[in-house]
Order: sequence, then C-alpha cells, then structure tokens
Amino acid sequence: MEYLQFLIILLFSPLIQGMIKKMKARMQGRVGSGIFQPYYDLIRLMKKEMVISHVTSWIFKATPYIVLASTIVASMITPVLTTRVPFGIMGDVIALIYILATGRFFMALAGLDAGTAFGGEGSSREMAVAILVEPMMMLSIFTAAISVGSTNIARIAEAQNMVYSPSHLLALSAFVVAIIAETGRIPVDNPDTHLELTMIHEGMLLEYSGRYLALMEWAHYMKQMLLFTLGVDIFFPVGIPSDTAFAGLGVSFALYFLKMGFMAVLMAAIESTRAKLRFFQLPSLLGGAFVLAFLSLLTYIMMGR
Amino acid sequence: MKNWIQAFSVMDFISVGILLTAVAMNAFKRLESCVKIYTLNSLLLSSLIAIVALMVGEPHLYIASAATLLGKGILIPMFLKRVVRQMKVTHDVEPYINNALSLAISGILVAVVYASLRQGIFVSGFSKNVLQISIAVILIGLFVMITRRKAITQVIGLLFMENGLFLAGFSLTYGMPIIIELGVLFDMLMGVIILGIFAVQIKRAFASSNLDNLTILKG
Repeated sequence: MEYLQFLIILLFSPLIQGMIKKMKARMQGRVGSGIFQPYYDLIRLMKKEMVISHVTSWIFKATPYIVLASTIVASMITPVLTTRVPFGIMGDVIALIYILATGRFFMALAGLDAGTAFGGEGSSREMAVAILVEPMMMLSIFTAAISVGSTNIARIAEAQNMVYSPSHLLALSAFVVAIIAETGRIPVDNPDTHLELTMIHEGMLLEYSGRYLALMEWAHYMKQMLLFTLGVDIFFPVGIPSDTAFAGLGVSFALYFLKMGFMAVLMAAIESTRAKLRFFQLPSLLGGAFVLAFLSLLTYIMMGR
Repeated sequence: MKNWIQAFSVMDFISVGILLTAVAMNAFKRLESCVKIYTLNSLLLSSLIAIVALMVGEPHLYIASAATLLGKGILIPMFLKRVVRQMKVTHDVEPYINNALSLAISGILVAVVYASLRQGIFVSGFSKNVLQISIAVILIGLFVMITRRKAITQVIGLLFMENGLFLAGFSLTYGMPIIIELGVLFDMLMGVIILGIFAVQIKRAFASSNLDNLTILKG
C-alpha cells in the first residue's frame, strides 16, 4: 500500500498546476482556464506528432525519460501520506537533491543538444541559478535535520517537531525562495511565456514537441508538487501517520490536500504581487535567501531550538 | 499574558528579528527602504524592552522603551525621510561591495561573533543569544558605514551601531540609569540632525552626496 503513495504525486501534480493557474487568474481579475486544463494539455500533447531536429543526438531522445524517471524516484523517497516510504532506507535529503540534479543536468544537456541559441541560453541560466539554489536548499533542510538528528525525510516527518522557533521560521522562508527558484516561478523565471529573452526553463524545452514535451511538462509539474510535499514534510509534518491504518491515511489525505492548497495559494499570491527580477539581480535574492538559511542554522546552534 | 509570551517564545523571535533587519540593511539600495528597515529595527528594539519590562516588572524599563519608540522609532526616521526628500536622491550609488557579497559578508560576521562568544551573558528575561545578536548588529552597522558611499546611508549605519550598543547595554545590566539613557538618546537625536544638515550641505556644495568627492582637495 505504502509503495503506491508516489502515484499521488504522479497523478495529482497537473491538478496542483491547474489550481495555481486558476487562483493566479482570479487574483489578477481574469476568469482563467479550468483547473483540469493541464490534464487536457498533456493528453493533447501525447497525441500530437513529434518534430525532432535531425542534428540532435540520443541525449535529446533519452532526456524526457531520464527527467521523468528521476522525478519519480525522488517522489518514492518522499513521504506523502505515511512516513513508511518505499525507498526510505536508501535515500535521504541529500540523495533526493542529487537525484533531482541528475534530471536537471540532462535537461541542460538536451537544451544544448539541438544547438539553438535559446536552448543554450536557457541551459546556462538554469545552471547558474542551480549553483545558488542547491546549497541554500540543503542548508535550510539541515536546520530541521539537526533538530531531529537524521537527514532521512521520513524520520524528520515522523519527529513531528512542530516548527515554532525563529530558526525554523528562517529556514522555512529560505526554503520557499528555493521552491520558487526551482519551479521557475515569477521573481526568478516567468512560467507563462515563450519566446521571450528572459526565459530559463522554457528555453531548454523549446525544441521539444508532442509526447516528449508532454513528458517534460509532466515531470516539471511533478517536481513542483514534490518540492511542495518536501516543504510540508519538513516544516509542517502534522498528521502524517507512521503506519498504514486506513483511518490515519484518510485524515492524512485530507490534511495533505489542505496543505497543498495552502502552498498553491502562497505561490499564486507571490506570483501575482511580485515583478520578475532581472537575471543579474537574481544573485541578490538568492544570496539573501542563502544568508537566511545560514542564519537559521547558526541561530539553531546557538539557541538550541 | 506572561505565560503566553513565554509559551510562544516571543523574546527569541524579536531578538532574531533585530538581527535580521540589520542583515537586511545590506540588501537595500533605495534610501527610503534603508530608513524603513532602520525604523523596523528600532520598533523591534523598543518592543523587546517593553516585553522585558513586562516580564521583570522594572518600571524604568517602560520609560526607556517609550523613549526608544519616540526617539528612534518616530523622530529620527521622520527627520531622515525629510533629508532624503530634500536631497532628491532615491538610490544609493553602487556601494563599494555589491549587495550579494555584502549580504554574505554580514552573514560571516554573524558567524564570527557566534563562534567567538560561545556562552552568552545576559540578565534574566532576555533570550539566550541576545548578546551575540547585539554585537553582530554593532559590527554590521560598522560594515554598512565603511561600504556605503552616501552620507545618509553612513548615518544609518551609525544608528544601527547605536541600536546594537543599546541592546547590549540592556541585556547585560537592564540599562544604565534613566537620566543617562535619556541623555544618550538626546545626543543621538542631535547628532543625526547635525549629520543630516551636513549631508544636505554636502549635496549642495558638491552637487552630489557621494563622500568620495570630499577626498578631492579642490571642490
């Protein structure tokens, strides 16, 4: 039973994307498309014919599968409804970040593969952002990991240390910035545009079409929901049971969707109220968040809580 | 009330907030944001002292808190805002060290302070690492003073240092006698007013408030 919890991320991630889009539209005074629109998009893309440039190598064809597979493996490490996770013994937070980095690495390669200007631009930008984001994400998670004494996500979630201390609050705010940067949301990247000189994530996907594009988009939605889940597991692990009793799972499912809804509202609010930063201003934002994470660790060590 | 303050560890949050506003000072370029973040720092300081006064029940701490609120939370920021408006500059020119790097350096400063002061000394009622935080705020204020070019941001750096000193004094001894506190506060106010007038005059004489121009012998 617990082996199937990654299916929740697999199946519901387009719904979360739809919810964010819908709420964003509402906040900006538009009607917006329905919350199931990402599903229709994915189905439509699956049916479409693929156009593949003849100069591309095997990397271009393998990347969608590698990205999707790495995201699925990462979601198998993460507890969703119960802290009994399939690969719980094998993977901890550090492994998870590097599994996601594998996917990112291949995505950047695929962006370079077709040899277009936009692809290379997107890849180099993605890597520049990743250098700043990865250590920050790790530091912010380490604050929670130290307080539990384990880097295993399931152990952190099990400890249920209700986060009410300055150090955890700082770590949480750094983690929210990390989520925004990783999912390509507005102060860092604009998820809604194509063919604009500022794009990061879309730049790498520009050469993809049809089924491959669907897989890449789906992997992106999954990564987004995975990061939300990770944040929820680490910072609000309320109501996650450590067994697979049916009643506990039901409560956990309801709570999980409440938390996901909260994250979706938060993201939509940030996207609606902020303007996109110039790329060369990003180090200021991400460096600031890094200092937040660093201070949270220091404060934790000094205060002991 | 006291139980609530203890249960939600308000003291810890406010003292970390004081540190955070000082660090955040390094991230801002707009002069008005700098004044705002200083105001926030002073308000947090004032509320920290008020809460300690409530917890310990020392009446003279209430007076100190009110004086901080009035002087540093309202009067000095109002005056600084006026100076900023008079000078008609909205942005600091690029500081000697760019924002991302100065954020990182202020983080390192905090780490150095924390590493060199393992055991904090504090009187009962304050949170555990308040001495470290106050010394870190002093160092960050000094850092802001030496990296910014505009006269007004250097004044704000000085004010941050003073806030740090104030916090250190209170966390070690519950503050000096009230008459000295009031005297220091009044001095501070006068100092800021004089420095503000200087800044406006420098701007008038050199057509810029960039302090590098003062090293040139002929105006």
